[in-house]
Amino acid sequence: MLDALWEGLLLILQWKPFAFMLVGVLVGFWVGLLPGIGGATTLALMLPFIYTMQPVEAFAFLLGMHSVVATTGDITSILFGVPGEATTAAIILDGHAMAKRGEAGRALGAALTASLIGALIGAAALALAVPIVRPLVLTFGSPELFMLAIVGLAFIASLSAQGARGMVRGFLAGGLGLLLAMVGQDPQAGVGRFTLDTLYLWQGLDLVPVLVGLFAIPEIIDLAVRGTSIAGDVPTGHIRRGALEGVKDVFRHPFLTVRCALIGTFIGITPGLGGAVAQWMAYGHATQSARNAEERKGFGAGDVRGVIGPGAACNSKEGGALIPTIAFGVPGSTSMAILLGGFFLLGLVPGPDMLTKHLSLTFSLVWTIVLANLITVAVCVLLLNHLAGLTNVAGHRLIPAILVLVFIGSFTSNSNYADLVVTLVFGAVGYLMVLAGWPRAPLVLGLVLGKIAENYLYISVARYGAGWLTRPVVLVLLAIAVAVVCYPVIQAWRGRHRAKHA
Amino acid sequence: MKRRQLLVAAIGLAAASPLALAQSFAGKTVTIIVGYKPGGGYDATARLLARHLPKHIPGGPTVIVQNMPGANSVIAANHMYNVAKADGLTIGTFNRNLPIAQLTRVEGVKFDMNKFAWIGSAANESTILAIRSDLPYMTFEELRHAKEPVVIGSTGPGANTHDFPLLLKDLVGLNFKIVSGYSSSADIMLAVERKEVDGRAGSYTSLRPFIDRKLVRPIVRARSTEPGIDQLPVDENFAPTPRAKAIMALRSTPELIARPYVMPPGTPAEIVKAMRDAFARAIQDPQLIAEGKKSKMELEFTSGEQAQKVLHDVFSQPKDIVEEFSKYIKFGE
Amino acid sequence: MHNRASLLLAVAIAALSAWAIFSALAWPWKAKLFPLVISIPLLCLALAEVLWVLLGATSGARAADFRLSEEHPPEVVRRRTLIAVAWIAGFFVLVLLLGFLVAVPLFVLAYLKLQGKEGWLFAIAFTALLWAAFYGLFDELLHLPFPSGWLLEWLGLA
Repeated sequence: MLDALWEGLLLILQWKPFAFMLVGVLVGFWVGLLPGIGGATTLALMLPFIYTMQPVEAFAFLLGMHSVVATTGDITSILFGVPGEATTAAIILDGHAMAKRGEAGRALGAALTASLIGALIGAAALALAVPIVRPLVLTFGSPELFMLAIVGLAFIASLSAQGARGMVRGFLAGGLGLLLAMVGQDPQAGVGRFTLDTLYLWQGLDLVPVLVGLFAIPEIIDLAVRGTSIAGDVPTGHIRRGALEGVKDVFRHPFLTVRCALIGTFIGITPGLGGAVAQWMAYGHATQSARNAEERKGFGAGDVRGVIGPGAACNSKEGGALIPTIAFGVPGSTSMAILLGGFFLLGLVPGPDMLTKHLSLTFSLVWTIVLANLITVAVCVLLLNHLAGLTNVAGHRLIPAILVLVFIGSFTSNSNYADLVVTLVFGAVGYLMVLAGWPRAPLVLGLVLGKIAENYLYISVARYGAGWLTRPVVLVLLAIAVAVVCYPVIQAWRGRHRAKHA
Repeated sequence: MKRRQLLVAAIGLAAASPLALAQSFAGKTVTIIVGYKPGGGYDATARLLARHLPKHIPGGPTVIVQNMPGANSVIAANHMYNVAKADGLTIGTFNRNLPIAQLTRVEGVKFDMNKFAWIGSAANESTILAIRSDLPYMTFEELRHAKEPVVIGSTGPGANTHDFPLLLKDLVGLNFKIVSGYSSSADIMLAVERKEVDGRAGSYTSLRPFIDRKLVRPIVRARSTEPGIDQLPVDENFAPTPRAKAIMALRSTPELIARPYVMPPGTPAEIVKAMRDAFARAIQDPQLIAEGKKSKMELEFTSGEQAQKVLHDVFSQPKDIVEEFSKYIKFGE
Repeated sequence: MHNRASLLLAVAIAALSAWAIFSALAWPWKAKLFPLVISIPLLCLALAEVLWVLLGATSGARAADFRLSEEHPPEVVRRRTLIAVAWIAGFFVLVLLLGFLVAVPLFVLAYLKLQGKEGWLFAIAFTALLWAAFYGLFDELLHLPFPSGWLLEWLGLA
C-alpha cells in the first residue's frame, strides 16, 4: 500500500496533470466564490472537457476544481453573509459577525486554516480507510442512517438558546424546517403534499433559494440600516493584520478542529445524508464547547470557534464522500454523482478494482485533494488583504452587487421566477426570526434532514419490522442523540449550580 | 406555356429550399431545453447531441443546452408547448413518461403530446429486474415460486425502479415486498450489497456495471430489448389476463421513445424534416458514437413519425384500461 | 419589537401547522404519518410560545444567531428598514417586468444614484462593470436562461 501511496504522488506531480489541476483550482475558486454557480452544476458542465484526457489528468482537473469550492465559498459567506455554496451557510453565523466587528481578516485566516486541516484529515481518512472501507460502509444500513438523521436533529437543542423558552423556540424553528421538508411528492404513495397546486413545489423546496433568502436578505437589510461598510468604523489596517491571529486561533483549539473535521469526514462517508448537514452538526458541536452561559451567548456574535467548526467539516466531508464513490460506485453527494459519471467516461469501474488494481490512481486522487487545497489556501492568503479590504467598501456600493448576486444565485436553481419568490419569503422569515431572537440553524437542519429521516424510517420499518430498533449501531446512535440533547441542559444546570455556590 | 412556367417555378422552389433553410439557421443559436438539472441522463444525452449537431444542421448554427428543471419536466414541456416560439430555434427534451402523465390526466399538464412537432427519440431504453447473485433463484419461474418474499428497493412511484416490480407483484402475483424511499438507484445498489434489499429494477444501462461485476443477475425484462438481454423472458408474457397485459404494455411503451425530442406545435414542416435528418445523421456520426461509448451512452434514432405511432398506441387505449392503469401507476419520476 | 416579532412568527407557525394537519388528514396513512407527527407537536409548541408572549414573560436568552445592530435609534432603523425592503421588492418587480438583462443595470444604477448618492461617473462605470461581468459569465459562458420580462413581452419587444 505504501508504494501505491508514493506512486500516487508521483502521478500527480507530472506536469500535465498538475497543470490541469491548476486550471481546475482556478475554475473552482470562482465557482465557490459566486453564489448561484454550484459546484455540482459546474462539475456537470466540465465533464465534456475530460473526454480526451487520461484518467489522472481528468481527475486532477475535476477534483482540483471540486476541492476548492468549499474553501472559497466560505469567503463569500464570511465577507458578505451570503452563502457562496449551500454547504457554506453555517459559517455565516459567526464568520460574518466577525467581519462586522472588523475582524474579517481573522475570520478568513481561521476559516482557511481550518479548511486546510479539514481537507488534510479528510484526505488522510480516504487513504487510511482503503482497507476497511467496504465493511465500514456496509454496516450503515437504513436504520443506522435514520438514527444518524435523528442525531443531526438532536443538534437543534445545542443550537437553541438556553432555558425552556429557548428550547421551545429552537424546536419551533426545527419543526418548521421539518414541515417544509415534507413539501413535494412523497415516495410512498405518490401524493403531492403541500404543493399548493403548483408545479414548482412538486419536487419540494430547493435548498439554495431558501438559504440565500434566510441568511443573505436580513444581512443586506441590516447593512442598509447601518449605513456604513460591513466592518463598520474599524480601521483598515486592523482588519488585515487579523489573518495571522485567525491561524493561531485554529491551533489554540486543536481538538475542536480535529473533532469537527472527523464529523465532516464521517458525514461524508455515509451516503444518503447529503452535503449540507455536516457544517451544521459541526457548528452545533462547536457551540457545545462553550464552557459557560456567557461564552454560549458569544456564539452568533463572532466566536471564532463558530468559524473553525464548519470550516473544517465542510472540507473534510469531501474526502469522506469520495470513499463510497470510489469503493462502491455510490455517490455520497450530488457532486460525487457527477464525478462518478467521470469515472465511467474514462472507462473506470468504481468498486473493488479501484482499491486493488488502480490503487495508485486512487491515491493520486487523495494527493490531488491535498495539493489543491494547499494551493488554494496559499493563493487566498496572498489575496487575503484585498479580500478583507472589501469589508471596508461603503455599504451602499456593495449592496446592489450583493443583491444582484443573491437574485441570480437563487434564480439559477430552477430558472423559475418562483425561486425568487421563495427567496423573498424566506428573507422575510429570516428577518423576523433574527428580530425575535429565534435561531435559524434548526430550521435549516430540519429542512435538510426531514425527508431523509422519513424515507429511512419507512425503509427500516418495511424491511425489518420492529427489529431494526435493536441493532447495535442503532442503539449507539440513539445514545449519542440523547447525549447531544441533554448536554446543553446539563451545562445550563451546572452553570446555575456553580453560580449559586460561587 | 403556363404549365411549364409552373413547373419551372416548382423546381426552382424545390432547389431553393435547402438554401432557404441554410439561411434560416446560419449564424443563429439553437437551444435544447432539458427538463432536468445538469448531470442526469437526459441532460448528458442533450449535451452530447449539442456538441455534434452543428455539423449536421444546414447553416451550421451554434447549439446550446439550457436546463429548466421542475415537476419532473412537466414545467419544461409546458414551456415548449405554450411559450417557446415555433421558429425551429428551440428544441425540448423531457421525461419519457409525460405521455402517460397526459393520459392519466395529471394536474398541471398544459400540453398535448400529439400536437408537438416531433423530431424523434435519441435512444431506446430497456427495463430489467435484477436480483442479487447469491440468491437461489436463477430463472423467472423459480422467482415466481419463491417461498420467502423478495425485497425490492425502489426510489418512489413513477420511476421504473418502482413501477416495473409493482406490476409484476400486483398483476402477475410475484412474492415481492417493495421498499421505497431510497434517494437514488445507486443507493439501492448499496442496499443490495448490504443485503438490505434483494434486487432492483431499472434500465439495463444503469444496471450493466453491476451485472458485469456479478453483484446482481438479470431475471426478467420489459418488451423493449437490446443485445445482452434478448434471452430474458418478457414480463407481459406472464400476464394472466389481456387487461393485465395491456397495462404492462402501456407502462413500457414510452421506453421506445426513451429520449424524446420535440419542437413547439406549429413548427414549419421543412424545419421539422431538416431537424429529423440532422438528428439522424448526428446519431450516426462516428465521433458522436465514439464519445457516447466512453460514457456508456448508446444513441439510436427513432424518427418523429415512428414516435407518433408509439404515441398513438398510448392514447388509443380504452378508458377502462387507463383507469385500471392509474390505480397502479402514479406519475412521478 | 422583539416580542411582537416572536408573536407574529408563533401565530404564523400555528396557523401553518393547523393547515398542515387539516390537509394531511385526507391522505393515505403512509403519506400523512410524518406530517402529522411533526405538525401536531409544532402546533402545541407554537401555541405555547403565543401564550408566553401574551402573558408577558421575559424573552429569555437570545439564541446563537446574529443580532441586528443596535447603533441607531428605532425611528431611524424603522425608516431605513422600510427603504431597504422597498428597494429589494422593487428589484424583484423590475426583474419580473423587464427581465434580468435590463433590470440588473437599471437597478444598480438607480441604487447607486438615488440611495448611494454617488457621482454619475462612478455609478455608470460600476454599473457597466457589473453588467458586463454578469452578462459575460451567466449568459455567454453558462447559457443560463434569463426570460425577458412580462412587460417587454407584452409590448412585443422581447
